[in-house]
Amino acid sequence: MMTIFLEQILNGISTGAVYAIVAVGMTMIFGVLRAINFAHGEYYMLGTFGGWFVISTIGLPYPAAVIVGVVVTMAIAYVIGRFVMQRMIGMPEEGSVVATLGIALILQNTVILVFGGGYKFFSAGYIEPVFFGDIGIAQQRLLIIALCIAVFVGLELLVTYSRMGKAMRAVSQNVEACAVVGIDVRTVVLSTFVLGTGLAAFSGILTAPVNVSVYGGMGEIITFKTLPIIVMGGLGNVRGTLVAAMILGIAESFVAGNFGLQYRDSVGFVTLILMLLWRPHGLFSARARF
Amino acid sequence: MTDSSSIPADTRPQTRDLRTPVSILLFLLALCSPLFLGTYAVHALVIAMIFLLPAHGLNLLVGYTGMLSLAQAAFFGIGAYCAALMATHFDTSFPVNLLAAVVLAMAVAVPLGIPALQLRATSFVMCTLGFVIITQAIAKNWISVTRGDMGLSGLPKPTFSLGGLSWTASTAQQSYYVALGLAALATFVFWLIVRSPAGRNLIAIRENETLAESLGVPTWRYRLAAFVLAAGFAGAGGALYAHYISVASPLMFQTLYTTTMLIIVLGGGSGSISGVVIGSILFVALSEGLRIAPELRMIAYGACLLLLVFRFPQGFAPYLSKLWDRIGGQTRKEGSA
Repeated sequence: MMTIFLEQILNGISTGAVYAIVAVGMTMIFGVLRAINFAHGEYYMLGTFGGWFVISTIGLPYPAAVIVGVVVTMAIAYVIGRFVMQRMIGMPEEGSVVATLGIALILQNTVILVFGGGYKFFSAGYIEPVFFGDIGIAQQRLLIIALCIAVFVGLELLVTYSRMGKAMRAVSQNVEACAVVGIDVRTVVLSTFVLGTGLAAFSGILTAPVNVSVYGGMGEIITFKTLPIIVMGGLGNVRGTLVAAMILGIAESFVAGNFGLQYRDSVGFVTLILMLLWRPHGLFSARARF
Repeated sequence: MTDSSSIPADTRPQTRDLRTPVSILLFLLALCSPLFLGTYAVHALVIAMIFLLPAHGLNLLVGYTGMLSLAQAAFFGIGAYCAALMATHFDTSFPVNLLAAVVLAMAVAVPLGIPALQLRATSFVMCTLGFVIITQAIAKNWISVTRGDMGLSGLPKPTFSLGGLSWTASTAQQSYYVALGLAALATFVFWLIVRSPAGRNLIAIRENETLAESLGVPTWRYRLAAFVLAAGFAGAGGALYAHYISVASPLMFQTLYTTTMLIIVLGGGSGSISGVVIGSILFVALSEGLRIAPELRMIAYGACLLLLVFRFPQGFAPYLSKLWDRIGGQTRKEGSA
């Protein structure tokens, strides 16, 4: 009983780590653009497809595939950022919702058109279990947790010390003031967007060995799950996102284990609606920033 | 300079008001098109007219009240399931099912709308998206009622009976007239709503909610009423759709449906009745009629959404009213509505 409980928690944390890496990108993009990126899960999908493609065609080893997937996704995101996201600066929120929905449609269906709509098998990564006493966990899941911690430490350093990180924080606080003091808002938006989507792609390839199946429509559910996390974490709040992702991951793991797998995906949306009604500014902020 | 006196009025290409004959022509065209169009083209038009119903509802929200809701697909699905359950369990006729679907969709919209309408902008969008996902989860998992992924199949074609007479719309052509009648009725009801003082209050809320509130418009009640009415339109569309394709399934909550409704309204021009009618023909009938692969269609929709946001924020409605003015012989009046 205790073993199952601990396994559920551990699996929940590793799921949460995946969500955290995706969601932190989305929340950072929200910070600089004040727009929810409804296409965010599609970059997760693109990264996974990029990795799957080079593994299944030219047989690249998994770590190289991770790099290829992330770089390809960031290149695509650069183009999209250049032509679409930069234009969204200062746009009414409804417009950016519609625009990012449009991008999601284009990305998702282009991939389905090119690679077919069926499920693909992702056979790479480190899926042998390791045991701590009775508790077994796949190596890949431990790797995900470790890399998630590394990503968040890295982001914390970036945002606190680097010039670009400071500019990101500045833009998320006050766009007009940034323009006045000479921060190039467009560049900050573009680099935040490319960074955020790169993280989504990274998360996608990291999870692929655990999820095994790869398909064109896989990004949608990730977008949907990211929404409650960024709302819980407080929009634009990096640390809050980590905690919120862990909460959702563990909650999903419990629901899947105790009530049935089919209810797992509803947890996020029930959480989202409750959060929006009860604390739309997130669990950790005293009041709404936006 | 010398020529200007000799040709006083002829520079204007068209001065006679042709709006009445053109309207009559369009009306006749709508009535007669099943007679000369192929079955598949008629089917495409039926689908377009079915989607017109939830699109009217969405237009009421986006175009007249200024709220971007993605929940129309949820109410569309609720309407479809309501009609399917009524038809399979109680064997009720199509008009009864339609009415029940409208009432149920509106009844569900009240408890959903009360909390959701506290939210603004993006939060409202996310919340309404949540409704779609949750209704889909219910449709998939409440297997004893909805039969899960298999859906409810075997709905009868719309039948109307009066006394001893009964008529069933079994072919595509007959369904066309049912859909046309309902679409016309819905458009008329929509026109009544937006032309009423209530409709003007909704526009006032869209333009400036605080100002509307200060002028004594009960904005909260109006926004809830708009949300509920929109759900009613979507419920009617769902019931008609379920009877037409004779099945209600969880697929109805897919992004495809939400996106289609969105593109009809934004593409046609939110806040314009004729724009939405044209939008449904343009985006649904055309893509259905040309048998474009669903993926390609979605890519085209996506590109259209981007174009609409960045290039044509008003949709195609301004071009439409310009054309209408030209038919009315008012080419010279720039900017007149």
